[in-house]
Amino acid sequence: MTRRRLQTIVIYVGIIFVVLVMGFPLYWMVKTSVEPPTTLFSPPYSYIPTTFSGENYRLLLFETYFPTFLKNSVIVAFFCTLISAVVSVLAGYGLTRFEFPGKKLIARGTLFSYMFPPLMLGIPLYIIFDSLGLRNTYVGLVLAHASIGIPLGTWIMWQYFQIVPKSLEEAAWVSGASRMRTLREVVLPIATPGIITVSTFAFAFSWNDYTYAKIFQDDITMFTVTTGINSFVERTAVHWGLIQAGATLITIPTLIIIVFLQRQLLESMAVGGLK
Amino acid sequence: MKRLWSSAIERISVEKLWILFTVGPVIALLLAIGFIPMGYAIWLSFHSKDPFMPTVDFVGLKNYITLFTNPKFLASLGRSLQYTIVSVVFQTLMGLGIALLFVRPFRGKLFARTVVFLPYLIPTAVVGLMFSWLLSTQYGVVNQLLRQLGLIRFPITFFDGLKSAMYSVIMAGSWKFGMFCTLMFIARLQAIPKNLYETAQISGAGAFQCFRDITLPHLKSTLLLIVLLRGIWMFNKFDMIWILTKGGPLRVTETLAIFSYRIAFEERSFGLAAAASVVILVILVIFATSYFWYFKPSKEVEVE
Repeated sequence: MTRRRLQTIVIYVGIIFVVLVMGFPLYWMVKTSVEPPTTLFSPPYSYIPTTFSGENYRLLLFETYFPTFLKNSVIVAFFCTLISAVVSVLAGYGLTRFEFPGKKLIARGTLFSYMFPPLMLGIPLYIIFDSLGLRNTYVGLVLAHASIGIPLGTWIMWQYFQIVPKSLEEAAWVSGASRMRTLREVVLPIATPGIITVSTFAFAFSWNDYTYAKIFQDDITMFTVTTGINSFVERTAVHWGLIQAGATLITIPTLIIIVFLQRQLLESMAVGGLK
Repeated sequence: MKRLWSSAIERISVEKLWILFTVGPVIALLLAIGFIPMGYAIWLSFHSKDPFMPTVDFVGLKNYITLFTNPKFLASLGRSLQYTIVSVVFQTLMGLGIALLFVRPFRGKLFARTVVFLPYLIPTAVVGLMFSWLLSTQYGVVNQLLRQLGLIRFPITFFDGLKSAMYSVIMAGSWKFGMFCTLMFIARLQAIPKNLYETAQISGAGAFQCFRDITLPHLKSTLLLIVLLRGIWMFNKFDMIWILTKGGPLRVTETLAIFSYRIAFEERSFGLAAAASVVILVILVIFATSYFWYFKPSKEVEVE
């Protein structure tokens, strides 16, 4: 019995240690952001915030382009999610419900695009977008982000529709429903967890992307949140207060996703998706 | 008879329309924003496309020869390998350790798991900037803490030191990417039937035996997949390194990805940069193919 208790203690100590190590950087980010900017460059720092101030946030929201960055990121992430979800759901359905040549090729193609070095796509896309006038536009960035969201989403939905039994649809056909209606009223509701997973990944990818936003957008009014907060690192000065405040705000959507979808994401990672 | 035929034809064409409707978009988009640009990059790698030259000339293998005779390129290739291997090993071990700790139910599980999962979904740019601040030589709280604990006398130059920069970049990245491994391992661990452990315990197996004979074999396929995916992704990694060090100091963290970015968007030699990115892809394809051939994780990845 004592051995068992010792084991439990070791596990708890381990968990606390991990939570501290993983949590501390986040804590420090939030802590720095809510303190007055004057404390930034005067170490030693106290480990617990002593004075609170909204000055960093006020500067961020009213004196910088941050609201524009936020708007750009929301627009791009929204359309990337929408396109990825619609295209992947259709593809997943088509690939599991119809027989046609070239399926294996598509499977290999989607898997292969996992390997694409982002820069290898970035270089030709930069030249193509440049000549089409798609640099510094939403369309260009949405397309670039969808180049990751779609293969991943298709893969997840492909796996997902394999475990949605066809018998349910067949029952609906027998009772006279059209294929479209069956898709809408029978298949989609069952596939909802898969669709949520795909949307979450597509959103997270687009929201998190730095590389493509950096390559395609050089006009500061078209920056996203990630390239945006990085623009607070200047040659002459690094605006740490702004950076930490911006970083905290950007992290909030992620936090919401995890708290609400933790179990779902874990399950779909186990079942299909990234298997 | 006639009617039967026409309905059959109708059905075939309706089905064809459905195939077109469902699979058409994915094929069109994958071609347009995936394979066609890729093909263009490969084409470009045999041409010279420079900033002040309007013409694009075929130069054969010249770009590749330029690359492989450039010591900076070869050095960046070596650093890419170092970065990838150390990262993958570290992240996998860390991911497995944390997953084993977190898989059993305990008090405060939701909170603890949220804290641990958060890093993986946080934007890499945020992670990079967070660590630049935490590990700053002058203003970093980690240096402050280490000094207060009496572990060091002078601050550690995490990202500015020639010896420490690479490892600091790897550690900062692992804080985020190691959590991918944790997530994958937890997902797999939860799927191991509990009665296996019960049976083993009844027949007198200890914790270590259970781990070796039940847990590890079940994790094998996940482990193989993690090493493959993380290997590919770390080899391609650009954003983390760029934000933390831009490849510096003195190029000690300049991996292939950083090297190609520099050539493309600072020197604007797109042909040469395309050749460098083709080299990255070829290495990855060789790695992935031999990996599949040797370990055969195909059961996990095969469709249907």
